[in-house]
Amino acid sequence: MGDALTSKGYTLIKALDGEIGLAAALKEQPDLILLDLILPKKNGFEVLGELKKDPATKNIPVIVLTNLEGSNDVEQALSLGATTYLVKANYNLEDVLGKIERVLNHHEK
Amino acid sequence: MMDLFKSSKDKWLCQCYTYLYMALSWSQSINLKKVCAEYRVGLWQCPQFLFLIMGVIIILAIMVTYIVASRYEEPEIASLAVLVLTAILFAIGNLIVRAFEQVALASKSKSEFISIMSHQLRSPLSAIKWQLNMLLQGQSPVNTPREYLETIMQQNERMIRSVNDLLEVNRIEDNDLILRPAEFSLKELTLKIINEYTSYASAYNVSVAFKDGENSMKVFADEERLRRVIEHLLDNAIRYSTNGGNISVNIEKQNDGKIVWKITDEGRGIPSAEQRRIFEKYFRSSDAARFQTAGSGVGLFIAKSIIKQSGGEIGFSSQESKGSTFWFVLPVKI
Repeated sequence: MGDALTSKGYTLIKALDGEIGLAAALKEQPDLILLDLILPKKNGFEVLGELKKDPATKNIPVIVLTNLEGSNDVEQALSLGATTYLVKANYNLEDVLGKIERVLNHHEK
Repeated sequence: MMDLFKSSKDKWLCQCYTYLYMALSWSQSINLKKVCAEYRVGLWQCPQFLFLIMGVIIILAIMVTYIVASRYEEPEIASLAVLVLTAILFAIGNLIVRAFEQVALASKSKSEFISIMSHQLRSPLSAIKWQLNMLLQGQSPVNTPREYLETIMQQNERMIRSVNDLLEVNRIEDNDLILRPAEFSLKELTLKIINEYTSYASAYNVSVAFKDGENSMKVFADEERLRRVIEHLLDNAIRYSTNGGNISVNIEKQNDGKIVWKITDEGRGIPSAEQRRIFEKYFRSSDAARFQTAGSGVGLFIAKSIIKQSGGEIGFSSQESKGSTFWFVLPVKI
């Protein structure tokens, strides 16, 4: 995924766990956050909740990109403020890149 | 007892006896042992069996109360009999509730396991799919085609390991785990596995050291299965070292000639309330809970089953926030 985004010209900031991700979001103020739910230290729901509570990060669109697909997971992520919920296994790389582009364009407007 | 039924007023008592007989016949007809074996629980944890026992006790209670009440004029004795039987019924009722709790818990763990397992299988599958997407698109400024193929290979291996774990659990449950023991060097096997896990450990900021103990460490066991045990223990030690640290592995010979293999980490440790369940199938520590690490909850169950069947023992000691030591003991071939 990272390679595909880099080759499209995006600048990436990678975080390997929830805590690092939150700190990076606060510091770097990215245009978009791609968030997995299974993360060490702080899980994706916790990260999402904290991002949306913090005025400094609450407006950053968050795309949940995971392989969890329970109806509760989808519901919880969307109610916490995720912009969209994508199940990795169900999408081709191009589809995901298209979604990212659409979310970014929509957000810029 | 049959004398009692000669009296006409004891006709209903005879009926009670008939119901008792019917209950026992019913239990035979449905083959309780088979039904409980299908649930993979012992008789005293099997709801059907406990239900039958409760039914029998209720019928007996009514019969005994009647007999006592008709034989003794003092109401205290009848009350006492009723009280004792009520206490027994209460205890049996409690057992039934616990049995249902066990069934509910097993069902919950299984659902959780399926969710984790589908994630475990999907992750490498989607990684493979996206790497192939990149390859098909042609040139990438980041990686060479060979690097993509290597990642695909690694993800494929990961998937094979997950499926093998599932099959192994099934074999264990069906008592179909067949070991092919042979003599081999436990030290060599351990060193080989540690070597294979070096880059994985580095990604977690963990260093793995092997402490050389006894030179002759030949054991008689199924090498492939033992490899899995060591891989599971090493993998757990690395994954739970969430803040990095050191892992040490050592092998020693006990006074009785048995070989002890031990791994010590400086990770999160296991909460004391959960330690007794750690070898249960599908069990995952609350720390691990679904979102913390990638384990599926069957590794230690598989490890224990393999070691037990190899004639050895497995155990651990752990302190929360300080780390854990897992060990297994194997017999040597004489």
